[in-house]
Amino acid sequence: MRLKHMTRLDIRPENLKATAWGTAATAVLGVLIVAGSRRLNHFDAALVGYTFAVLFATFGVTYRYAMWLMRPTTAIYWRRGWQVFLRPKYIGRNIALWIRHVGSDFVLNAFVFRRGKARWMAHWLIMWGCVLATAITFPLVFGWVHFATVTGDFGTYEAFVFGFPVSRFQIDSLIGFLTFHGLVWASILVTLGVMLAMRRRMRDRSAAAIQQFGEDFLPLILLFAISVTGLMLTASYTWMKGYAYDFLAILHAITVIFTLLWLPFGKFFHIFQRPAQIGVAFYKEVGRLEPPAHCRRCGHGFTSELHVRDLIEAERVLGYRYDIDGEVEHYQWICPPCRRSMLVLAQGRAWADELGTGVYPLGGESPDGVTPRFGNAGVNQGPLGSEDRDNFHP
Amino acid sequence: MANAPDQTSLFVDRFGPHPAYATEVHLETSGRIDRLVSTHCCFCGQQCGINLKVRDNAVVGFEPREDFPFNEGKLCPKGVKRYLQGMHPDRLLSAFERDDSSPSGFRPMTYERAVERVAAEIDRIQREHGPDAFAVLSGASLTTEKTYLMGKFARVCLKTRYIDYNGRLCMVSAGAGNKKAFGIDRAANPWSDIPKAEVVWIAGANVAECAPITTSYVWQARENGARIVVVDPRITPIARTCDLFLPVKPGRDIALFNGVLQLMIENDWIDGDFIERHTVGFDAVAEHVREWTPRRTAEVTGISEKAIRKAAEWWGQASTSFLLHARGIEHHTHGVQNVLGAINMVLASGRIGREGCGYATITGQANGQGGREHGQKCDQLPGWRDIENDEHRSYIASVWDVEPETIPHSGVDAYEIFRKIEAGEIRGLLSICFNPKVSLPDNSFVTRMLEKLDFFVAIDFFLSETAQHADIVLPGSLHEEDEGTVTQIEGRVIKINKAVDPPGDARQDWRIVQDIAHALGRPHGFSFESPREIFDELRIASRGGVADYSGITYEKIQKQNGVFWPCPGDDHPGTPRLFEADSWNPVAKGSGPFYFPDGKARMNVAPYTPPAEDVDDEYPLMLTTGRVVSQFLSGTQTRRIGPLVDQYPEPLCEMHPRLAEALGIRTGDPVIVESRRGTMRLPAIVVSTIRPDTVFIPYHWPGARSANQLTVSAQDPISKIPEYKVCAVRIRKEA
Amino acid sequence: MPVPAHMEFFIDPNRCIGCQACVQACSECDTHKGHSMIHLEYVDRSHSVQTAPVVCMHCDSPTCAEVCPADAIKRTEDGVVQTARKPRCIACNNCVLACPFGVPKMKTDAHLMMKCDMCYDRTSVGRRPMCATVCPSEALFFGTREQIEARRKRSAPTNSFRFGNQAITTKVNMMLPVTARSEYIDVTAAMGDRNVGKDIRFTVLTDALFDDAEERTV
Repeated sequence: MRLKHMTRLDIRPENLKATAWGTAATAVLGVLIVAGSRRLNHFDAALVGYTFAVLFATFGVTYRYAMWLMRPTTAIYWRRGWQVFLRPKYIGRNIALWIRHVGSDFVLNAFVFRRGKARWMAHWLIMWGCVLATAITFPLVFGWVHFATVTGDFGTYEAFVFGFPVSRFQIDSLIGFLTFHGLVWASILVTLGVMLAMRRRMRDRSAAAIQQFGEDFLPLILLFAISVTGLMLTASYTWMKGYAYDFLAILHAITVIFTLLWLPFGKFFHIFQRPAQIGVAFYKEVGRLEPPAHCRRCGHGFTSELHVRDLIEAERVLGYRYDIDGEVEHYQWICPPCRRSMLVLAQGRAWADELGTGVYPLGGESPDGVTPRFGNAGVNQGPLGSEDRDNFHP
Repeated sequence: MANAPDQTSLFVDRFGPHPAYATEVHLETSGRIDRLVSTHCCFCGQQCGINLKVRDNAVVGFEPREDFPFNEGKLCPKGVKRYLQGMHPDRLLSAFERDDSSPSGFRPMTYERAVERVAAEIDRIQREHGPDAFAVLSGASLTTEKTYLMGKFARVCLKTRYIDYNGRLCMVSAGAGNKKAFGIDRAANPWSDIPKAEVVWIAGANVAECAPITTSYVWQARENGARIVVVDPRITPIARTCDLFLPVKPGRDIALFNGVLQLMIENDWIDGDFIERHTVGFDAVAEHVREWTPRRTAEVTGISEKAIRKAAEWWGQASTSFLLHARGIEHHTHGVQNVLGAINMVLASGRIGREGCGYATITGQANGQGGREHGQKCDQLPGWRDIENDEHRSYIASVWDVEPETIPHSGVDAYEIFRKIEAGEIRGLLSICFNPKVSLPDNSFVTRMLEKLDFFVAIDFFLSETAQHADIVLPGSLHEEDEGTVTQIEGRVIKINKAVDPPGDARQDWRIVQDIAHALGRPHGFSFESPREIFDELRIASRGGVADYSGITYEKIQKQNGVFWPCPGDDHPGTPRLFEADSWNPVAKGSGPFYFPDGKARMNVAPYTPPAEDVDDEYPLMLTTGRVVSQFLSGTQTRRIGPLVDQYPEPLCEMHPRLAEALGIRTGDPVIVESRRGTMRLPAIVVSTIRPDTVFIPYHWPGARSANQLTVSAQDPISKIPEYKVCAVRIRKEA
Repeated sequence: MPVPAHMEFFIDPNRCIGCQACVQACSECDTHKGHSMIHLEYVDRSHSVQTAPVVCMHCDSPTCAEVCPADAIKRTEDGVVQTARKPRCIACNNCVLACPFGVPKMKTDAHLMMKCDMCYDRTSVGRRPMCATVCPSEALFFGTREQIEARRKRSAPTNSFRFGNQAITTKVNMMLPVTARSEYIDVTAAMGDRNVGKDIRFTVLTDALFDDAEERTV
């Protein structure tokens, strides 16, 4: 099966394809850096380490993203996601949906809130801190944005984007203060978020059971290191006359570069995967408008036919053989409650001779409505939401 | 004495029932826990071990307790969610006085003032109408210390003969039957004998729902090769995969037992030697059962001849066996006869008093066993002594430091107490741990009697339906707020440990009772400072009695994880299995293993009589009542625990599809069930797991949802248990 | 810490009494506190009290993980298939629909699949899972193979299942009678079964009450 295959080190077409995508993306970024900095005129040579780290991360992230999109189920979602998004019939609706999801999922992190308030607070602070920091530093590093004093007026700064002048402001104005300390604000957000996240990870027994150093603590430590060394840089030149500035600058660069290099491998990769949930939302939305699948054992509706057919295809690609001889055709056409019942019925049937119990066939109308039926309607005992109700008959 | 207050929103706001759910502190996964208290569940007679998580003087969760040998960590849903009764919004945190001008019907008052008023009312009623005009109703969910104290309080402080308890609705048929047959009333064997039996016979016991942990013992027996025989009008979960299911017609169990015994005798599947050496009365029984041919048995019981023969063959030919029964055969006007019939089957087989050879009733309430031993029954003194026996009276009088003649004589059973209220003989009542308005049959009568009382005081932790009629409610303690002992299903005395202090003005029940005694100016014998002091007096009171606790100490219980009574000496380890061949007991004094002077068990003729109210053209169906796994008894606690409420939110009327079809009823339809005493409306559930001539309604709910509006108050002449398990009803679909 | 290798999960649904203790206890587990992950259904209440307790079987090659587009489901070294990794799960529902045992649950509002993780907070520190600790009938049992062999003399554990043409092996075992003819449980063979057990129609309605009446099969 696929997991086993993946442990072998053979170069397959996917790897080559992904390498090509990675190379292309890196090249495009390289060109943009050269062009955006006006042939490196505005490129700060001190930042070359950062630049190469970013180029490496671009390659890594693109490679992994491409590999990820070639997984059978991801590929199906990717393809179907765009298909349903672009269907003329649904496009208006989809754009509205997209805007709503960007608001609730990205801006507010509402779904994280529902997973836990402490988790949400930490995530929201870290995310916005990082977004802000990235928005400031990357253009600066690439030379896409630079500031210069207006000729003859040392009190006024002019901002350039891709070499074009964009705006002017007084150095000692509020805007100036906010702009030049943007990274300080970002660091504060990140530091607070990291501390909250650390606190949760150290106290929470549920987190304690499954967390791993590399997956869960290292990212927090890296973010913390970047923020603290960055703040120390500011402190050094603001209040301490540049004490240990060079050392701190190198330390800061090391933390940032390490984080960039590590971007494609660990937890940070979710930053790139996560937007896929918006694609999933389109897929589900369209599924709801399409004909539902009916369980071929109990007749109850569950999910969309589209989804069942796609899964059957994905499972075939993955090497599964859930095909059933006869009119049911494929196990995927059986709803989850019937699967659970059949497992138990099959075990009970194996014991029937031993215990002298009867095995009674399905047939006729069940006076009780849809069966099998969930035994406990209690809060959070059965379905975990509207969608989950398909997994539990009434 | 009062009507219950209107169930206005203000009343419900204050007193509930509110279903409690796990909230903030319960859901914290980083929650600090101050300590884990090793104790037992507060609900049924199995008394599973459980650890309670305590934080800031509140029970906030649980952890399975795997070191207690009976359950090894197992719990039913009630045990799992029991912790939610802590910090409950409905909890009574002060004394209350009935006040119709108050929006909730009750007004809080100081505890001291409440106790004073209770004492003044008791004094007034007893001065005007005599000491017997004030009665006490107690319960079998109290610790043994408290049940002992309640008996002593009634006899010594109040000097009333009228005390009885809610075990009257539960274990008394088994108790009386055991007493008649064995001279002692306790499970004859520890549950560890069940897996060693070749045949396990379960009569009238929905083990899966009423004693869930016992299931593992039964299934273990099956893994060891045992055959399981289940007698029940419904296919209960344990009956679904048993080896032989006998779907008896409600109220006809004795016919089955007699029929089986007849086949055993006919085929010589009896132990003649055992019968000869250890029993009395076999010949009369054999003569009596001769008429119970398989055909007649089948006619009466509704079980096929073939199945009866098969059952007799399995039971008769087994070399080891265990017979378990519960309320299904006991809640009858001939409940004691049913029990005697079952015991005759056991005695004739000679399979008792040995490893793997056992007999037991499955006790229902938490302290159903301990609560029926130490003097809160109307005719009993501690140590299972007889209140009419002069020797017993003078011994207990010496322990209590009173004159024997001052101890009142035998009173009447709990239901009869209500009839005495009707007759005007009883005018005042103190009730603790009892909710008769929900649990007694024909409960509209019970309600009228509560209204008729001159004065009614209830000790309760939630305002139960019965306490709603009280003039004064005193705030008692929850299970986890006190320590003491309980005697569980097997006769094992175990220790309840205190986890938290009672909140607000609530206090431990034994303190409240003593405070009343002091306020009455009758403090003699009511100056205990702790449950341990009460237990130490109980040990002396029980010494030499049948239920001898004198060798049991709190330390021994902790050390041995429970001590089986009788335990007559400090170096005595306790008695897990009764009736072993060479055992000694204080009644037989060495002449035999059974608790009669000749040491022999009694086989009693157990004649069949039909139920008090049989079906007829007007009321053509049999109603049987029972429990569901997520609720406990009258539901005072479990109807306040949200996840348990959700599991089975309201009573449903179970009926067979054949019956439902004839009546045009489908699952979910509201139906009207009528008996000669009342009418109730509830949804139907159509299932082919019940006899077509029988319908089933669980009984845990009050008011319009109470199954006991329909049941009959006819009682067993010996045990006084009401006939909950069968009465005649008619059903129609609501128009 | 991994789950100790000698501790195994054994399920005998035939013992289940439908009491819901597992469902109630499951929501007390720290990794998913307040939410129950175990499934307990009446297979057909109108005809039987038979119930189906289903926990995650922890497949050796988990279909749920393979169909996950976000790579959010991981099987740890000790063979436990973990619940979805929160940063990755995009709530696509593939796992829910693909699991042959019908195990995962979808909490749509949190964009998160949740499933039984064998109480990893407990089992990874040597404790038993909530459901298998409290189960009154031992339908769910967590212990050593020696314990199960000593206790279940008529049973033999299997961890092989068939779904149509697909064979699946799991970390969790299910009990078959020692007399069983098959080494695996053929789940799809039960496609047409309604319930297994005693049926009152046969003992009361159609069965002959008296021996001299026409013989009918029980």
